[in-house]
Amino acid sequence: MPKPTNQFWPCFFGNRISALVLVQILISAGVGAALVLTNTVQIDSLMLWIIIPGLLLINLTFSILFFVNSTKPTKELLAAIMKVAGDLTDLTPPNPNDKKYERSGLGDALQTIYKLSSSRDNIPAGQALAVTDRSSSKTLSIAEALDTTTCGFIALDANHSIIYSNKSAPTFTNNEGKKELKLIFNGNDTLDDWLKTCEEKSVHDEHAWSRIPDRLPNEEGRRFFDVIASYQKGAAAETVLSLVDRTGAYIIDEENLDFVSFAAHELRGPITVIRGYLDVLQDELDGVLQEDQKQLFHRLIISSNRLSGYINNILNTSRYDRRHLKVHLVEDTVANVYDVISDDMQLRAGVQNRMLSVAIPKDLPTIAVDRASMSEVFGNLIDNAIKYSNEGGIINVSAKVYGDFVEVAIQDHGIGMPDNVVSQLFQKFYRSHRSRETVAGTGIGLYISKAIVESHGGTISVRSEDGKGSTFTVLLPIYATVADKLKAGNNSNESIIKVGSGWIKNHSMFRG
Amino acid sequence: MAIKTVLCVEDDRFIGEMYVRSLKKAGYEVDWVIDGNDGLVSARNKQYDLILLDVMLPERRGSEILEALRGKENLIPNTRVIVLTNFEQDEESRMAMEQKADAYLIKAEITPKKLISIIQQLDKI
Repeated sequence: MPKPTNQFWPCFFGNRISALVLVQILISAGVGAALVLTNTVQIDSLMLWIIIPGLLLINLTFSILFFVNSTKPTKELLAAIMKVAGDLTDLTPPNPNDKKYERSGLGDALQTIYKLSSSRDNIPAGQALAVTDRSSSKTLSIAEALDTTTCGFIALDANHSIIYSNKSAPTFTNNEGKKELKLIFNGNDTLDDWLKTCEEKSVHDEHAWSRIPDRLPNEEGRRFFDVIASYQKGAAAETVLSLVDRTGAYIIDEENLDFVSFAAHELRGPITVIRGYLDVLQDELDGVLQEDQKQLFHRLIISSNRLSGYINNILNTSRYDRRHLKVHLVEDTVANVYDVISDDMQLRAGVQNRMLSVAIPKDLPTIAVDRASMSEVFGNLIDNAIKYSNEGGIINVSAKVYGDFVEVAIQDHGIGMPDNVVSQLFQKFYRSHRSRETVAGTGIGLYISKAIVESHGGTISVRSEDGKGSTFTVLLPIYATVADKLKAGNNSNESIIKVGSGWIKNHSMFRG
Repeated sequence: MAIKTVLCVEDDRFIGEMYVRSLKKAGYEVDWVIDGNDGLVSARNKQYDLILLDVMLPERRGSEILEALRGKENLIPNTRVIVLTNFEQDEESRMAMEQKADAYLIKAEITPKKLISIIQQLDKI
């Protein structure tokens, strides 16, 4: 077993002194023997017994003095290194500014050692803590200080075992008595996955996660952390985690989610009954109602359908803003997606006196899509086309293949938009001056539509000419192009989303 | 196996009435219970072809009923289950229910007519 550094000096010093004494005794004995053998001095003469011990004493004194003096720089350097390493030691660390060092030039060497250590200070905080069993009083006091903060600090060794954690760090002790990290990461973006990548590819790396809970929803004392991990290959504490407790900021969102969910539940109850009975009555009163009464009936149906569409938009926006939006992508056709809203859209267009012309070819390749949420996007776009076109106007819904994507276009020949409006169109709550005065709306339809399309790994864009109409284009990946990624990711959208939206993964999105 | 008998577990009076009325008109035999405990007892005592299960129920949540019926062992192998809810469950809870049920629907998004067409689709599978 290797000895710790702080035992080196006593051991080394003792050994060398013993050797020195032994050598001097041998030399003196040798000299004595030579004198006797050459008959220079008689063995029983007093002279011999004065010369030999005298020689031994003088030799011993000078050689020890010389030894101590010549090993002094080594001792100073060792003391400096031990101080830097934070080891417990009796050696007094040398002051590099001392006059005597300045003369000899050792001062510079000591300075260098101290400098090297201070330049590494950001990382070794963890390292020094990792060796608390032999750390100096200085690092112990850092550990005490860290226990008083609400931030968590955790150091992991190369086997991902916890070798240090302060009091606030979210850890638990498992059945084997080992400390483990208690954090619930989202999807594939976990600490373990990141560490695996680091071990394969990096020497030094950093990564940050936000809004990482330590418990499941509804558990007592749930906390949320922003986590920053730094990885240094080969270091004693290979991974150092810094965790900022952000429960205060995030819990409000969580409570708001509860509020929005409960509010939606309450609102949806009456809507269920209204929509249900309208549907029932429409059939049962078919022969009874006059033609104009039927028109009124259609208005009731459209209004109730729109109401439930708005509730879904609000729910989805709330989820999206709190990064809880998730879509479940499966193989499906554009026609099937459109079918969900087809009747409703025809009715809406008919009542508002618009022509809705739908041309979705049957032989299009399948797409990777969450049917319910994408039908809401189409619904939002067609609803807009109806709103912003003129009496008797035609709205074209078409689809075609475009590279690895299927392109769905919704075109109106209505009022169109100037360029400055187009650029802000997908912002939340954005309504142009003109539409604010003339058309009802909430300003979240396009915002959430963009979020949904992008969480499919697709894009949404618009071409518009003032006074001539607008065309909204949605590109959705062909299923075959993303099938492998989807299967690997358990049909969630994580693997096909581009950088920047990688967080759209937690929780559900409404599905009817 | 044609679906004939239906158990509707629904605490909202209006919604329950609406489904029962439409289903009966369409020729199904429907029993309707209001709270979760009654729902579980009824489902155990009589073999239904279909259970319409709400989630937010008094006494016992729909998720608990489903867990009791189809958790460790499937006590109702010959019965279809459609979860009907207006409540936005979190992802984990919803997925757990979806795996045990034959369908999971948001009530506000379907009308009785659509519900019946979904039941007919289930019948064909």
